[in-house]
Amino acid sequence: MSLNLDKNKIIEEFNNALALQDLENLRLKYLGKKGLISIEMKSLASLSIEQRKTKGQELNIIKSLIETEIEKKKNDIERVQINEKLQREKIDTTLPPRNFESGKIHPISQTLYKIIDLFGSMGFEVKSGPDIETDFNNFTALNIPDHHPAREMQDTFYIDDQVLRTHTSPVQVRTMLETKPPIRIIVPGRTYRSDSDSTHTPMFHQVEGLLIDDSSTMAHLKGCLIDFLKDFFEINDLKYRFRPSYFPFTEPSAEMDIAFTKKGNTLKFGEGDDWLEILGCGMVNPVVLENCKIDSSKFQGFAFGMGIERLSMLKYGITDIRSFFESDIRWIKHYGFNPLDISSTSGI
Amino acid sequence: MKFTLGWLKDHLDTSADLLTISNTLTNIGLEIEKVENKAEDFKDFTIAKVVSVEKHPNADRLKVCNVKTSKGNFQVVCGAPNAKSGMMGIFAPTNTQIPGTNIFLKKSEIRGVESCGMLLSERELGISDEHDGIIELEGNYKVGDPVAPIYGFDDPVIEINLTPNRSDCLSVRGIARDLAAAGLGKLKDLKIKKIKGSFKSDVKWLRKFNIKEDHLCPGVSGRLFTNVKNTQSPEWLKRRLELIGLRSISALVDITNYVTFDLGRPLHVYDADKFNGNLVMRKAQKNEKCKTLDEKEYLLSEDMIVISDDDSLHGIGGVMGGLNSGCSLETKNVFLEVALFDPISITKTGRKLNLQSDARYRFERGVDFTSIEWGVDAATQMIIDLCGGEVSEIVFDKIQNPKLKKLDYDINLTKTYGGIDVEIKKQIKILENLGFKINSKNNLKLEIVIPSFRPDIIGPADIVEEILRIYGFDKIQPISLTNKKDKNLEILNSNLQAYYKSKRLIANRGYLETVTWSFMDSEIATFINNNTLIKIKNPISSDLDTMRPSMFPNLLSSINHNISKLYTKGKLFEVGPNFFGIKENDQIMVATGIHYGYSSSISWFNKSRAVDIYDIKSDIFYILGQLNIPVESLQYEECKNSAYHPGKSSQLRIGKHVIANFGEISPLLLKKLDIKINVCGFEIFLDTLEQFQIKKTSTKKGYNNNPFQNVERDFAFLFPLEIRAIDVINKIKKIDKEIIKNVIIFDVYEGDKLPKNKKSIALKIILQPQEKTFTDKEIESISNNIIDLVSKSFDGELRK
Repeated sequence: MSLNLDKNKIIEEFNNALALQDLENLRLKYLGKKGLISIEMKSLASLSIEQRKTKGQELNIIKSLIETEIEKKKNDIERVQINEKLQREKIDTTLPPRNFESGKIHPISQTLYKIIDLFGSMGFEVKSGPDIETDFNNFTALNIPDHHPAREMQDTFYIDDQVLRTHTSPVQVRTMLETKPPIRIIVPGRTYRSDSDSTHTPMFHQVEGLLIDDSSTMAHLKGCLIDFLKDFFEINDLKYRFRPSYFPFTEPSAEMDIAFTKKGNTLKFGEGDDWLEILGCGMVNPVVLENCKIDSSKFQGFAFGMGIERLSMLKYGITDIRSFFESDIRWIKHYGFNPLDISSTSGI
Repeated sequence: MKFTLGWLKDHLDTSADLLTISNTLTNIGLEIEKVENKAEDFKDFTIAKVVSVEKHPNADRLKVCNVKTSKGNFQVVCGAPNAKSGMMGIFAPTNTQIPGTNIFLKKSEIRGVESCGMLLSERELGISDEHDGIIELEGNYKVGDPVAPIYGFDDPVIEINLTPNRSDCLSVRGIARDLAAAGLGKLKDLKIKKIKGSFKSDVKWLRKFNIKEDHLCPGVSGRLFTNVKNTQSPEWLKRRLELIGLRSISALVDITNYVTFDLGRPLHVYDADKFNGNLVMRKAQKNEKCKTLDEKEYLLSEDMIVISDDDSLHGIGGVMGGLNSGCSLETKNVFLEVALFDPISITKTGRKLNLQSDARYRFERGVDFTSIEWGVDAATQMIIDLCGGEVSEIVFDKIQNPKLKKLDYDINLTKTYGGIDVEIKKQIKILENLGFKINSKNNLKLEIVIPSFRPDIIGPADIVEEILRIYGFDKIQPISLTNKKDKNLEILNSNLQAYYKSKRLIANRGYLETVTWSFMDSEIATFINNNTLIKIKNPISSDLDTMRPSMFPNLLSSINHNISKLYTKGKLFEVGPNFFGIKENDQIMVATGIHYGYSSSISWFNKSRAVDIYDIKSDIFYILGQLNIPVESLQYEECKNSAYHPGKSSQLRIGKHVIANFGEISPLLLKKLDIKINVCGFEIFLDTLEQFQIKKTSTKKGYNNNPFQNVERDFAFLFPLEIRAIDVINKIKKIDKEIIKNVIIFDVYEGDKLPKNKKSIALKIILQPQEKTFTDKEIESISNNIIDLVSKSFDGELRK
């Protein structure tokens, strides 16, 4: 055996190789045409069959060892080289990204999504109706005849012989005339009153609710609205009160207040000794049921109505109702919601 | 409705304090608007005596007063010219709030002299504008006495926000009755003495209506008072009226106002020497005029009720008395009117004349019909007490008194309707305290007689409300709804789904949602749609006088403001109604977006670029795609909407349905709105998307994992300028939809290097073999097909 072919020595030689050229030199040294292995292989012919077999096997083992070492070392060297190159390619990742725009959902829409979701989970369907309404649907059917002083509770816009709906209640009338009880609907939408000052806008949004069946009472009315407001404001021990009131279309009628305290400039809801009116409600007046062709001796139920802007202002701490309608980009970016800020089961 | 606590106690025997009374009023449906308690505001101020006055050593106009108060003597520097020793005034100690000026008074040094407190003027006390000097009290006052009683402010003023149904509570009496029913004391007996006349009146009340219109004034009564002496009202009466915001005029006039508020019985008094003959209630004649107590002359119409003598008019019935026969301090003989009027007629008259009065307010809500009897005596007693004189027998003209209404009532209704069991005894007690009579009762049914002062009670639901509002709404135990929802019920129908979903989708493309008025300026509306203007009869202002046919003007009008805040580019959208007529179907739901300024703003890697219609187009294709619209099938039509640039806009349709419009906003419209920046916009017509929102089954077609290598081939053609890209794409795809998977346009060129009226379009076409890999020959053949087709159909010439 030649001393030149000591395994350990060969491995050491490869370990010392640093560049691809060193590796090539080593390859030529051992595996090249005139390489050590090749020469040894040629010399086998002069040996006996026994010796040839033994030595041949040894040579083959060394040859494959060298080949493996070359492959291994080649990978190592290439990796080092690429890494060095990648290091040189370093760029400033803190530079600003390419343009993208983030849109926003208006707080009125976000409030509506929430309302729809909460009432939807109580089995209410969403209905809609036109903004330009007949006098019958907006007033007469709702037990507000022409001469009634209640007409002066609402300053009405007129278009020809029609009105801009002063509430979304006309959709109650439409629904009752079209469908038979049981009915559970809510009606969000635009409403109009000719009123414009720091706390009133000529257009605003309301959501109306109606439930008609054969047995629901004021106890259910209270339960439904309390459950809604607790979920809406996310306050479990919400302090509230129901106060007798008057609406021509409900009897008995009530207004619901929630308690608040004012500390400095911030309002805290659900507790305290001051009251804030939040919605109007009542048992549907039998006169209205009859006006809408529903037998008031068989069916009864309740209705409610609330202002979306007010709910939105309270929930999100918005102070000026007029700011909802000013299309001020800074305001929308501040109070708006991310497009996929969905907290609902209805998926909208 | 305003009243004072003292006034209330004339009718209500109660030991309840002001706070309890206020809270109870709100709890039974008479919502408190305001409670004004000046005694509380004035509690720190007392009557004081100026003991001595000396000149201020350092200021000519100031005086140094020594003031004696119940808490000792104080030195006060004062500038009032009328400050003198011996006078009684009103002293405000240090560390108090001065009501009239809202200043917090502190111990101070004025020009080197210490001043501990202040002597108040009427303005500083907040009771008038008088500020020429400090208050100088005349009369028998003691040092240390409270201030409020001097001005009658020891009586707190309560204002309730009365709902229109409760005409009975337009009187202090009615409010007291409600409070008594709520357990806050006892309603005192109303003692109205019947007063006999000593002579027969020589003037009469007459009603002249035809039989069909007799209800317009069902009755009128009154009497003549002779030799009265009209004077200023006594202090107590003046004070009560002033506290509730009425001006004291003279005893006779004040009495009519007092009875109006005390008992809800409007009255009128005529100077009997200023009319001729009898007084007649009748309908006005056309173009008759009447000058009333507000010193205005009203032109009347034939549907109004007037009071007339033989010659002229003396009042508009139920609304306001005439000026000429009004009572003055010289009046010697008085004729009284206690009348009833039809509420509808009074409402119409009042609205037509735009004339509000305390009488009208009560008559249109309904006045107790029995009051034409007791009302005369109530007024008589006060007139005799305050003005003396002799009274005639009562004169009247009326149809028979209507009978009291009766109602059958099932006592279980509080449970089955109100949701709470109320003991029958309790129910009856509440109703009786409210003035109802229970005629007969068995176990379940009551016959209830409705009092004459409650015209608002119609049916059993009203009785439930009466019982429960007194019993307490808070006692009803809430019951949560059980969800009886069936699985197929959709919270949102397909139309509303498109509406609510579109907002999230549009916002997801970087648009900010806004909400703008449904109305706009008719001048701009005309520019957009000159066919139909939907004008509001009574707009809030002239620039909001028309229902909008488009949201663009409202959205665009925010641009200049936002640019001024350096938002030089922006994307805004609104989802809402547009209007094309007053019928239900003329209102359509539209999602409208604008993108103004740059598409991308200046940055370190590229230059800014103005927004163009392809930016907008990519937004709507994304949005429509997400709303299940087959965007590949959209047809392009000319957009005949003057909000858009005619050459840079399109309408997208599927069949006859208009799905959307998009394009550059018309420079003419921008100019009209004074906008100097480029704007593109879109409108998606949500109602037409309904058909695509219907829920599809959840299973999908099997997936075809085609194993054959697809191929791409590039072509460039020279086309006439008017050729539309979409037509070329659709035509090529039609060759074989299975094989031609996609047609991509990767270059469009128009310019000098091409022949005139030509443009070059370069296409990349992706081919997908179906059964085996394409041979070169097959590809060649397909390519030739394409070239031939383009050449034939579009006059397209292959560029080599």
